[in-house]
Amino acid sequence: MTARAGGTAIADDGARSPGAGRAGAPPRPAADHRRRPHRSRGLRLVPWLFLAPALILFLYFKYIPMARGLWMSFFNVRPFLGDEWIGLANYGRVFTDESFRSAMGHTLVLATAQTAGAMILGFVLALLLEGKARTLWVVRSAAFLPVVTAIAVVGEVWRLLYFAGDQGMLNTLFGLLGFGPEKFLDDPRTALWWVILVGVWKHAPYDMMIILAGLAGIDRQHYEAAALEGASLLQRIRHVTIPALRPVITILVTLACIRGLRVFTEVFVLTGGGPAGATDVVMTRIYALGFDAGDLGFASAASVLLFLTTLVLTVAVTVYRRRREI
Amino acid sequence: MATPLRLTRRRAVPGLAVAALTATAVLSGCASKADSEGAAALQLWTRSTPASAKVYTKVIAEFTKKTGVKVDYVPVYENFEQKIQQAAAAKKLPDVVINDSSLLGPATTQGLVGTIDKASIAGSDQIVDRAWGQATGADGKLHAIPFSTQAMALFIRKDWREKLGKDVPKTWDDLVSLAKAFQAEDPDGNGQADTYGMLVPGSSQRGYTAWWASSFLWEGGGDFLTQAGPGKFTPAIDSPRSVDAVTKLQGLFCKDKVVVPGALTLITDDAHPFFEKGQAGIYLTGPYMMGRFDKSLGKDRYEVVPAPAGPGGATVLGEGENIYLMAGSAQQDGQKKLAEFLISADGQRLGMNGTQPNPVVRIPVNKNVDMLAERKDDRWALIAKVYQESARTFPQVPNWQPFRQKTSETLNSLFATCDADVRGALGKLAADYRTELATQKVAG
Repeated sequence: MTARAGGTAIADDGARSPGAGRAGAPPRPAADHRRRPHRSRGLRLVPWLFLAPALILFLYFKYIPMARGLWMSFFNVRPFLGDEWIGLANYGRVFTDESFRSAMGHTLVLATAQTAGAMILGFVLALLLEGKARTLWVVRSAAFLPVVTAIAVVGEVWRLLYFAGDQGMLNTLFGLLGFGPEKFLDDPRTALWWVILVGVWKHAPYDMMIILAGLAGIDRQHYEAAALEGASLLQRIRHVTIPALRPVITILVTLACIRGLRVFTEVFVLTGGGPAGATDVVMTRIYALGFDAGDLGFASAASVLLFLTTLVLTVAVTVYRRRREI
Repeated sequence: MATPLRLTRRRAVPGLAVAALTATAVLSGCASKADSEGAAALQLWTRSTPASAKVYTKVIAEFTKKTGVKVDYVPVYENFEQKIQQAAAAKKLPDVVINDSSLLGPATTQGLVGTIDKASIAGSDQIVDRAWGQATGADGKLHAIPFSTQAMALFIRKDWREKLGKDVPKTWDDLVSLAKAFQAEDPDGNGQADTYGMLVPGSSQRGYTAWWASSFLWEGGGDFLTQAGPGKFTPAIDSPRSVDAVTKLQGLFCKDKVVVPGALTLITDDAHPFFEKGQAGIYLTGPYMMGRFDKSLGKDRYEVVPAPAGPGGATVLGEGENIYLMAGSAQQDGQKKLAEFLISADGQRLGMNGTQPNPVVRIPVNKNVDMLAERKDDRWALIAKVYQESARTFPQVPNWQPFRQKTSETLNSLFATCDADVRGALGKLAADYRTELATQKVAG
């Protein structure tokens, strides 16, 4: 879900720039230019008319529900008995509720480990699969498949792989290699890490694609110069590749952190937050509170906090990036 | 927890979008139909699989034929509670809901249902006394009308048991030894150690762990809460007998190791295939599963027996479905008419679906209906007997859900962590109970 959101963001950017180019960049005939100010007064509304359908949809399906969610977070929500104003009490509960605190801990571990894991694996894959050969193209497409597979399906398949009996798929493999059987999602001490592994597997190819695009933009001459200076492979990666990829990496970290904080589907599908709450994350908690327990006020408060965290994080990364680039 | 198909998280995610779209399409379709004919239809939601929805459709068709009241029927297969919450938040509840008794607490405390005047419902005098309990709130008032009842029973692979020359388990020890045999002695004869003893839907999600464990807890002489006067409760989950019972259950996972792998993240919908596909031989579940297992596994390959009595007796979980007349309905007369038809002998008989699978009325609540004459199946006679003699419901606190959730999380954690201290964990759970009892203003 989050991956798709991330994907769309990138796709949007890609789609927008050629579009924007078409609207602004190509030199228009001079006559057109001269007529423009004369016409513009009457046409000022036109762009808004074109935007209107999207804006109305956004307003109705995004901004109004968001505002309502914020409003609900101050109430004990009881639609048929009348909502009860309780101020910031819901927010207080988010911080004092024990299961919520442990869910926040799990979310941080999951977001960090998954982001780092996917990034490292994606980087290695990108280095291995960079190039123009047709075979590489085939391998790259194959490696990219997890990203385009629906996360619910991925979760279901991994649940089968993770079956904790002797005849589970991974356990059979482990048995052949002479260790196991592993308890996988059954063991509260390790369950979170197996969930993280699925996330890394799913998201690494996405990181790979973005890094590949970054790699393509690095001037070959840098490598050649470094090689002439006698730099080893690792030195070339450290002093040429990684610095050149910095903008790409910041983008990926931002997207991955946001994705990590809002992680829901893979956890929900794989474990539902169990066993013993060992894989409960903020979103599964919010879901359980809002829809299982029917405590919409509390769930809204937690959602607002999650939104604020995401916002702060995004702004911080953006500001940091701007500073570095100036 | 009664209906076989609860929230299915794995199917829910892709299904949700489709369901939402379909629901919108269906609802808008119905709305326009009602508009064009000038009379709004009564909206009825049930938690049903497509198969049981067909039975409801038959019942409703008969109702419309008899009364002329049109019904807009929406079977909800998944995420039922979530959809009720959404409808409540939008203040557009359906007129009538048929769902299990666990909805009673939340619906009452959130004001989604009012009180029912028993005398005003025609035919309410024909309902068996025992059934009214599941529709009675903590305030002692009726908030719904009972529609169907049932009790949990043990499903055992008969062919496996007979092949290994074992008897039907009569005690807890028999049960454990049968489970061990199913696991160790290759009952399916395929030469591989790929069978397990007990199937447990042990996910803490939606309280499944507590749902499964409740019967064993009661049979062990333990309890969740003790009634301490009218409308007052004290925790009993940390009593010595509760501790013993839970220790015994923990043993199934840790000492005897007779439970299917992955049980602690299993919800019922994902659990059923283990029994159907011959991976597990013992399953404590509701009688509504018989229709499905008869078809998928075969009626002669498994048997339905009462759960063997424990040190504290033979008490098992008895549940049922209620008819909820939802708040804010513009058609109170229609609501009442539908409820009256559903509890009438005709309505109940149609819901029982004769000898066909997927009955929506499991044990009829109407005393004028002869269940065996309709069903011709001895297993149902057994379920009715268990219900009559040894079934009980969860405690009638105003809202059982927070208790159910906390209990499930504690038990799930105890079963997952074999070196965990049962007494200590249940002591802590009892303290949580006390807080929740105080919140709900029923602490004794």
